Amino acid sequence: MLEFLIPNNIVCHAVEAMLFASIACSILGVIITQLKISSIGFTMAHAAFAGAACGMFFGFDPRISAVAVSIMIALLIGPLTDLAKMPEDTVLGVLFGMLMAVAVFFIAYMQYVGKGFNANSLLFGDVISLYREEIYALVIISFMAVIFVVLLYKEISAIIFNKKVAEAAGIKVKPIYYALLFMIAFTVALSLNIVGGLLLYVWLITPAAIAYQFMFDVKGLFIMAPVVAAVISVSSAVVGLEYSLPVGPLTAVVFSVVFIIAVIFSRKRKVTSRKH
Amino acid sequence: MKDVNSPIISLKDIYTAYEGAEFPVISGLSLEIGHGEFVIVGGPNGAGKTTLLESVNGMLPLTHGTAHVCGMDVSRNGDAVRKKTGYVIQSFAFDPFTPFTVENVVMMGRYGILGCFKKPGEEDYRATEESIKLLGLEDISEKPIGTLSGGQQQKVLIAQNLAKKPDLLLLDEPFSNLDLCTREFVSDILKDISSKGCTVLMVSHAFDALPDKDVRIVVMDRGCINFDEFCHATEVKDIVRKMSAVA
Repeated sequence: MLEFLIPNNIVCHAVEAMLFASIACSILGVIITQLKISSIGFTMAHAAFAGAACGMFFGFDPRISAVAVSIMIALLIGPLTDLAKMPEDTVLGVLFGMLMAVAVFFIAYMQYVGKGFNANSLLFGDVISLYREEIYALVIISFMAVIFVVLLYKEISAIIFNKKVAEAAGIKVKPIYYALLFMIAFTVALSLNIVGGLLLYVWLITPAAIAYQFMFDVKGLFIMAPVVAAVISVSSAVVGLEYSLPVGPLTAVVFSVVFIIAVIFSRKRKVTSRKH
Repeated sequence: MKDVNSPIISLKDIYTAYEGAEFPVISGLSLEIGHGEFVIVGGPNGAGKTTLLESVNGMLPLTHGTAHVCGMDVSRNGDAVRKKTGYVIQSFAFDPFTPFTVENVVMMGRYGILGCFKKPGEEDYRATEESIKLLGLEDISEKPIGTLSGGQQQKVLIAQNLAKKPDLLLLDEPFSNLDLCTREFVSDILKDISSKGCTVLMVSHAFDALPDKDVRIVVMDRGCINFDEFCHATEVKDIVRKMSAVA
């Protein structure tokens, strides 16, 4: 897609992957940080991990079983939170423990019976060795996430503000909230084995956290977070590939540095010196 | 067309219970309220006043009985009822940096009526602006709601519900964070919308700024109504005190 700008195929694929995945994840990240459910990222990563381990054990394609288990967990989060009458983060913590246990169980058992299991690509991804199909998949996932947020912007912003106020306004809070959790989990699950857990966690939290330092309205957050994510991700990918540095960790470090700078220069920490 | 001869609220022998509770909060309550009435609900803490409001707009499910509001069965059409009903909640605590301005929050009152996938139009912006102006919030309309005082936040939530142009307005302790002057100001607005045909059902413990007119007073205790009469606003305080003491 961007070959006309970047002739080198490897660099081009890496930049495309970083661009599309960072935009989708950072937009969803605004919702995640505002709803205070940041543990959805690592819970879904471990759903994919457990699914891959199950698939390997039972002789299925681990990528398909990773996505299948992730979708099942994504469907479960909303109703389980309601049934348990507990905060989302608590339910996500319970699911995280369960999924990690399932993954560790199958990995340990496979090692015991002499089968190998390599979770590296799932956990860390590899943006410099992506196929064209994987880039297209990322474009579709990103597009779906963006369309979802644009179409339901009103309802999502009301739910972020206050679920009770949203319900009193006549919004169908429960189905939209379930769909929202599903969309976040679905995007994380499908992007995970393409870009890896490390970059996903960073994109889901840090761009929204940086934007939050400067923006006082939710529309501003939804605009600034993907812009910040795209600029940092693409420039880190280009620099990393130019100087043969690991792209994922480099991007994560740059995001953290920008976050610290944002906190220092935040408009929200400013105290007026005016007397009148 | 709304049928002004039939009651806007019709509750018949309703029971409401919270999940996990041993006993219902509202037990066998029946109540009919007509269009344009100004009703004040009083009674001691734990009498079921807030539960009554949330049973009327369908936010809490009934375990027995039937409730019809704005001509609709609340149990079956809760969302549709809430589109025609304003509800100013009692407890709120907004993060100082919550990314919503006063204007954003007031506009949210229109979201339910608009429905999914539709953007706010000219009418929605006009209703929002009118409501902001009515409550005197023009100067702070661009400010984040979390940075305002409790009283200003309460006014914003009232403006949000008025932007909806509801047939029925439910208010839970709307004066609790307001100073005396603001109470009188808000009370005049409520009197005005009531005279234009909007039914007002208000839970309150503050009776010093009620609109200067005849109102209906409903006193609740232990999930039941133990007093339901029309009186002048100046008599409300004594009636609630007397009936609460009897209970």
